[in-house]
Amino acid sequence: MSERTFYPSFKVQGFNWRIVFAACAIALTVLVAFFLSRYAAYRKLQEQFYGQVLEPAQEGYDFRLIDQNGKAFQLSQLRGKVVLFSFGYTHCPDVCPTTLTDFGKIYRALSENDRERVQVLFISVDSRRDQPETLKNYIPYFDASFLGLTGDANHINEATRAYGASYEFVHHPGEDPDVYLVNHSAYAYLIDPDGKWKAIYDFDQLRETEKVAADIRRVLKSS
Amino acid sequence: MRVKTLFIVVLCAGLLPIASAEPASVQVTNAWIREVPPAATDTAAYMKIRNLSQTPLQLVGGSSTIARKVEPMVTTKQTRGGHEVLGMETVTGLTIPGRGTLELKPGGDHLMMMGLLSRPKEGDQVKLTLKFSPGDQQADLQIPVSKEPPK
Repeated sequence: MSERTFYPSFKVQGFNWRIVFAACAIALTVLVAFFLSRYAAYRKLQEQFYGQVLEPAQEGYDFRLIDQNGKAFQLSQLRGKVVLFSFGYTHCPDVCPTTLTDFGKIYRALSENDRERVQVLFISVDSRRDQPETLKNYIPYFDASFLGLTGDANHINEATRAYGASYEFVHHPGEDPDVYLVNHSAYAYLIDPDGKWKAIYDFDQLRETEKVAADIRRVLKSS
Repeated sequence: MRVKTLFIVVLCAGLLPIASAEPASVQVTNAWIREVPPAATDTAAYMKIRNLSQTPLQLVGGSSTIARKVEPMVTTKQTRGGHEVLGMETVTGLTIPGRGTLELKPGGDHLMMMGLLSRPKEGDQVKLTLKFSPGDQQADLQIPVSKEPPK
């Protein structure tokens, strides 16, 4: 008796399993196809790009800082422009001037028309020593159009965190408290005119002026 | 009295380099000092140093008329959450193997010129004395100031 009641329910269950299996297979195929196409899109984009692309491009964090003129500054003010920026500090004798010199060469490799739609920024993580006036003195040396930004530690930390960057102050006991080094990420970040974070460059990649400039031209053209 | 003191000082100044240092057997090429951007307080010197002897040498520092201190530094790389963080550290010396070459370059090993006493401009020549161990070997150089590495 109990067996008879058992079989039909088993059949129904078996029937369900088939549907479930088929549904799973279809879902899996769709999912694999989706990821493959996404991966293909990423590969295609990466082949065209010199920098490490972010596909899909994510929203570039809209940092809120102070510019070298002492005015409040947000990334979103630069919609319509390609933005290239990095983190650093002005007392940096090697890495930061190298990056900024590279930025200058990249920027000046662009046509005058393109330059009007590109803004280079340098965000100082050393707000203790880098006042807006310090940056105003320092940044234009690399190009008159470049803009230095800083802010209070909280706002700087929000910006570094959002872009995966980090920094730390290295004090030496017995030294003047104003004499210290700063270890920091030395990447460059590329934001497209819609405010999307498009690509990232490591420190060494920036030596290739023409390749970075070509990426910027491509982003300008596709927007 | 004053003349005598002056005479002794001049004599000592003349004798010191002869008494303590010997020229290092190195060949320096591609040397340049980074022009200091306004507001910056330190800069760096870069070059290729070839050790012409069989004995390994240590570049332990140097001296210059434009900086209080000249120190050998290395660039450190650490990884934080998958991202690289660059830093600098003073080291006691940078090794140049026998018959080998040490390259000081941006973002790598370099000589940091700390506490600038003057701010030479691109095209200027700066006197820099490199100090090596073992012993008290040195090399006197005249290095051009530039915004970029020489071509």
